[in-house]
Amino acid sequence: MTSPTARPDFDPELKAGLAVVGGMFPPTITPELIDFMRVSYASPPLADTLCERGIHQEDHVVPGHRGDPVGVSVLSPAADVHERPGVVFVHSGGLMFGDRFSGVDLVLDWVDRLGAVLVAMDYRLAPEFPDPFPREDVYAVLEWTAQNAALLGIRRDRLLVCGASAGGGLAAGLALAARDRGGPALRGQVLDYPMLDDRGVTASTGQFDGVGVWDRVSNVTGWTALLGGLRGGPDVSPYAAPARAEDLSGLPPAFIDVGAAEIFRDEAVAYADGIWRAGGDADLHVWGGAFHACDIFAPHATVSRSMIKTRNAWVEKMIGD
Amino acid sequence: MQELLGRISRLDPTASLGLRVIACFDELVVGNVNTRALLSAAASLAGCVAGFEQDRPHRVLRVTPAGEQAVGEPVRRTGAEASDGLVVWLEREGEPGANDAIILERLALAVRIRHGRGRSGDDNRRDLGLLLDQTVPAEDRRLAAAALGLAPGGRYRVAAAPLFAVWTGRPQGPEDVVPTRYGPIHALVVPAEAPVDDVRASPCGIGSATQPELLHHSFRTSLVALRLSRPPKTPRVTAEDYPGLVDIFADAPADAQYPDLGLIEQVTAQTWGQDTLDAVITSGSARQAARALSIHHSTMQARLDTITAALGFDPYDGMGKVRLGIAYLAWRLVRSTVLDLPAPTYRATGA
Repeated sequence: MTSPTARPDFDPELKAGLAVVGGMFPPTITPELIDFMRVSYASPPLADTLCERGIHQEDHVVPGHRGDPVGVSVLSPAADVHERPGVVFVHSGGLMFGDRFSGVDLVLDWVDRLGAVLVAMDYRLAPEFPDPFPREDVYAVLEWTAQNAALLGIRRDRLLVCGASAGGGLAAGLALAARDRGGPALRGQVLDYPMLDDRGVTASTGQFDGVGVWDRVSNVTGWTALLGGLRGGPDVSPYAAPARAEDLSGLPPAFIDVGAAEIFRDEAVAYADGIWRAGGDADLHVWGGAFHACDIFAPHATVSRSMIKTRNAWVEKMIGD
Repeated sequence: MQELLGRISRLDPTASLGLRVIACFDELVVGNVNTRALLSAAASLAGCVAGFEQDRPHRVLRVTPAGEQAVGEPVRRTGAEASDGLVVWLEREGEPGANDAIILERLALAVRIRHGRGRSGDDNRRDLGLLLDQTVPAEDRRLAAAALGLAPGGRYRVAAAPLFAVWTGRPQGPEDVVPTRYGPIHALVVPAEAPVDDVRASPCGIGSATQPELLHHSFRTSLVALRLSRPPKTPRVTAEDYPGLVDIFADAPADAQYPDLGLIEQVTAQTWGQDTLDAVITSGSARQAARALSIHHSTMQARLDTITAALGFDPYDGMGKVRLGIAYLAWRLVRSTVLDLPAPTYRATGA
């Protein structure tokens, strides 16, 4: 018999990391903490890193949902002239915080090592901009990227979408929407510990109250910010909460990774399973002892490095020259 | 994680990053991670390569902040810290980082512990953990003591400190982090004849002297002594400071009941209460106690009257001092905050 709070333990190296992470990313995020998180989770200046790595940055303002302006950065390998693989990157931050470069360090490897062109955007954030603003901003940027592929130096046959956490949920919704709307063809979807289900009913959701990164209460805060009173009800779009999708067929190959010690474990596993049952292609990696986004917060730890390497190998397989 | 530390200090300039570094290594030691993982954490915290070298067999390991093995020649080594043929360092060019010293100190401690002597076959714990555990069979404890190089007929004590203790000096001896009901504790075995003053840690408790296979008892008394310490005034307490009494508490169950605690609370509610009780239980007479407190005898007598009224018995009469002594130490143990690690604070700035 298991007690109600039985849960997989965190990996020792990651547990050590929490001693530091806990100071800027509390386990439990309530609406009162949104302002704090917008400061603490803001991405650090990137210019020096890009310069060191020989990555070129070009900023654009593109029409988002309802034609409103959305800021976009295009990061490309400085030296290249011919057409490159493209990656549309959707940042993390619980739908309420973060910016286009939050957690971008990990995907910069794809720019300077795989030669990809990365498109990152400031989709508008909840609760000020609830559903459908975030997902429709992201969709608009995907369309803009495909339409301007030649100009941006991107090969349309090697366009990947990628997102972490809330960005992973948005990326999954993006792939669903692109399929249903006859949008740009996608080579793959990388969903890192994606936030897929607004209903909060899985076993893993209940296992991590008050510990680690992003617990049940934080998840309620995020989904409520996005969906308001619709959260958990019958009228939530699968593009906002892809766990709601009834048809997972005809999707681009998916790479899904998630920690065994985080609330999104069960919804990530279920999503991969749904894709398989619909005859689709999915890689699912569940990392033992991993808390949410451990690769962003503690990339030096053994589990995180394995996670990053495995993901990079898949991306190289899908879009590398 | 260096970047995260920077974020924390921008969010709260008063935050103690040192404690976070310490807590980080505490977990690594308790988690029994390998040298590479220790170096990865140090490098990640410092934002530069962390290195390790051992004499015999010769081995060098250098790890980047991303946890990868460093290639190329080491750059300038900063603050290398040696112990028993083990050296650790940070490869920092330019000015040392604000947390370099504490990172190096904790890395050195963690590496020392990781490289502690042989481990027992079946039990996953290292020798000191076995030696200090009463429930381990006596024969296994004797083997652990031998593996640690303790002489069978020798006499030793255990010194106990929390992992966030500040150390300025120590005698040589086996050390490790041992789990206890109060959390992980840094335990060090020192020869009984070594002056206790040589154990320079704050806070710290020093256990009773005993033969190797009974060091589990010394460890329990060291924990009681540690919990009786009150830095900065009394950073170190020795079991011999309270002969006999510490032993009683050492073997008391976690839920032991002390009916006189409420009486003590009434006295300690006075501003002079605790100092005066201290003086009463360590002196032979009211006059001696007055001298120890540098107060007039009549003031002392007035306080004693108050104490006697509150307790309902005279501490200098019959069993009074024994009863008061036990109740007062029990109260100090219950009220001890010396093992509390300050909790992380989140101070939302004008975000």
